[in-house]
Amino acid sequence: MAKIEFRHVSKRFGAVEVIPDMDLVIEDGEFVALLGPSGCGKSTSLFMLAGIYLPSGGELLFDGHVVNEVEARDRNVGIVFQSYALYPHMSVRDNILFPLRFKKTPREEALARVKAAADLVRVAELLDRRPSELSGGQQQRVALARALVKKPQLLLLDEPLSNLDASLRLSMRTEIKALHEQLGVTTVLVTHDQIEATTMADRIICMRAGRIEQVGTPDDLYLRPLSLFVAGFIGSPPINFIAGKAEGGTLTVNRTRFPVEGASGAVTVGLRPEHLSFGETGFPGRIAQIEPMGREILYVVETGMGAVRVLEQGSSAGHAIGKQVKVDFRPENSLVFETERQKLVAGAHIRATA
Amino acid sequence: MATQAAPTMTMAASGPVVDWDALAARARGARRTKAVVLYSFLIAVSLPIILPYFWLVAIAFSAKTGVAETAVLWRSMAVVVPAVVGFWLAAALAQTRRQLWIGFAAVAMIAIFAFALLVGPDLHLGNFIFLWEPDFASVVRSRIGEVRGAVQFPNVWHAFGNSILIAGAQTAIVVTVASLAAYYLSRFQFPGRSSMLRSLLVLHAFPVLTLIVPMFLMLYWIGLLDTLFGVILVLVAFELPFAIFIMKGFFDAVPWDIEMSALTDGASRRQAFVSVVLPQVRNGILAVAVFTFIRGWEEYIFVFTFLIRNSNWTMSLYMYWVRDDVMGVDYGVVSAVGVFYLVPSLILYVAAQRYLMQMSVGGVKG
Ligand SMILES: Nc1ncnc2c1ncn2[C@@H]1O[C@H](COP(=O)(O)OP(=O)(O)OP(=O)(O)O)[C@@H](O)[C@H]1O
Ligand SMILES: [Mg+2]
Repeated sequence: MAKIEFRHVSKRFGAVEVIPDMDLVIEDGEFVALLGPSGCGKSTSLFMLAGIYLPSGGELLFDGHVVNEVEARDRNVGIVFQSYALYPHMSVRDNILFPLRFKKTPREEALARVKAAADLVRVAELLDRRPSELSGGQQQRVALARALVKKPQLLLLDEPLSNLDASLRLSMRTEIKALHEQLGVTTVLVTHDQIEATTMADRIICMRAGRIEQVGTPDDLYLRPLSLFVAGFIGSPPINFIAGKAEGGTLTVNRTRFPVEGASGAVTVGLRPEHLSFGETGFPGRIAQIEPMGREILYVVETGMGAVRVLEQGSSAGHAIGKQVKVDFRPENSLVFETERQKLVAGAHIRATA
Repeated sequence: MATQAAPTMTMAASGPVVDWDALAARARGARRTKAVVLYSFLIAVSLPIILPYFWLVAIAFSAKTGVAETAVLWRSMAVVVPAVVGFWLAAALAQTRRQLWIGFAAVAMIAIFAFALLVGPDLHLGNFIFLWEPDFASVVRSRIGEVRGAVQFPNVWHAFGNSILIAGAQTAIVVTVASLAAYYLSRFQFPGRSSMLRSLLVLHAFPVLTLIVPMFLMLYWIGLLDTLFGVILVLVAFELPFAIFIMKGFFDAVPWDIEMSALTDGASRRQAFVSVVLPQVRNGILAVAVFTFIRGWEEYIFVFTFLIRNSNWTMSLYMYWVRDDVMGVDYGVVSAVGVFYLVPSLILYVAAQRYLMQMSVGGVKG
């Protein structure tokens, strides 16, 4: 188990600066998720932790010791690659055994540990097969067993669930989380799927173009996103953004006006679909589209400030396309961002009606 | 087909008069016609390649000193051609796998019987005299009463050993160097990498003969003229570029991930190369090894130019001198040497066929 620290870490590939300056602390035993869109440098950060890439600048610390120059094989890091990277010419047993080969572990003990790791991820009956004879989910478990068998001080998961089907993904999510609770190993999960991050991780590190946008618990990122980017990236269906101009306590969007507190100038208001509801009061609109999503129903409502997504519980009875409705929300659920700097204006709110 | 299917479908709707069996039979017939045409074409094209080999073997086992008769050839052809046609008819006509095997067995039996009857009495091993009689040239000549002027041949096993040594050593060096170089070219970025890749192909484009004089002079100055080692070095130099290029294609196809995974699993770069990367390119190595070996085994121009003493002769030189010396006297011995020379390559090809096929699939990409 280890505490991980990035101190002004940067990474360049030739002239391309992928990570300009990264500062981050991951506590011992924590489960964090690196979340961000494709190409934002998640894998690069992970590979620096694993020792595959050498940082171009700054310091990387394990338990307070600088490990920049420490070779991958001496770091005792377990990693599950996006492609699983199982060794195709070896049986599952030899795959899981591989990390122990270089540790001079006695054969008896090594086999026992392989057995234990295989049991842990429930692949014990597959030990004699080749990776090509396994399903995607089974390969993923084998990769996990191989990463765990060496009792790593740090477990790195690079989009481990992205190749699985929806139901398998759901169960593996629960399993990986349970595994972390059982083993307590510091774990970094890389994902571009916000649901994966919010359901599994203690803390989420939201990245964008090589920079950390926000670090916090899933609730922090969901309820108090510090930037437009985080607000837009977290949440499904995505948040509604409404751009307008605030002046003297009034926000003007097209020709609609809202009372606003604590902000002025060009602002963008963020309203989550699940925080909106149909009511007696609120701003008027017309239902343009109805998308049943199981327990909830997503309505697209044409209003004076453009299309707004509203997520409502219960049946759609009584809400037909074309119906005139009023959309309401609680002021404290509204988020106000400065359009220019894309940052949250702390304490600013709007109201649905005067 | 589509236009024919439409009326049958309307018929099916009106009543149970569709003759599915007839439709199936027609499709089967069309398939069979196609197969017949294809096989006829393939056989016609391959005859000019296969016939000389067949004749080579037939002559080697049947010709007699001083007799230039071709009756055996024609008789054996009279067995083989009908046999091929028979096999092919059996394949075309058989309805089930069982019938196919029965047909093949029947044709094979008849062919073997006819062969034993027509050709069998003429077969003998006398032409392989060179295997046990180093001075066979004199023996052969003495049969027609002319002994003078025979070339002093070394023991054929000596030439055989030399050929094995040259081909084997060349293969070992080429495979080792090409694997390491190709891995480096595939995985590491360094100044001049792309121009090196391009020059690899240019090197291969040189016609060998243009370089033979400078090579001769170089070997002379180094003092490796008329040594096996000198020839091995030259062959390695000529074979390496293409081998590197082929191997690079195989290494490029190995994903980075498994190598990185091996590194984090505690392997050193070298251990990762040996235990994870090399096994992935095993087929490539085998293919390159087989081709290089056969190239060395067939080598003629360099050995002819750079090897002088007859104790350094390889099989190709041996073949050349046998042809030169006894050709007019005894076709049989020349053919027998040819067959003996052919067998190792043939065995190697058959044994490695599976891997050679993958070379085109394994892909060569820049
Ligand atoms: N070896 C490399 N050489 C040059 N550029 C690279 C290299 N590896 C990554 N990059 C670049 O760095 C950026 C970040 O890559 P990275 O693989 O870390 O993205 P990611 O966040 O993991 O994306 P994804 O979700 O698609 O895996 C990309 O723009 C990529 O093109
Ligand atoms: Mg990635």
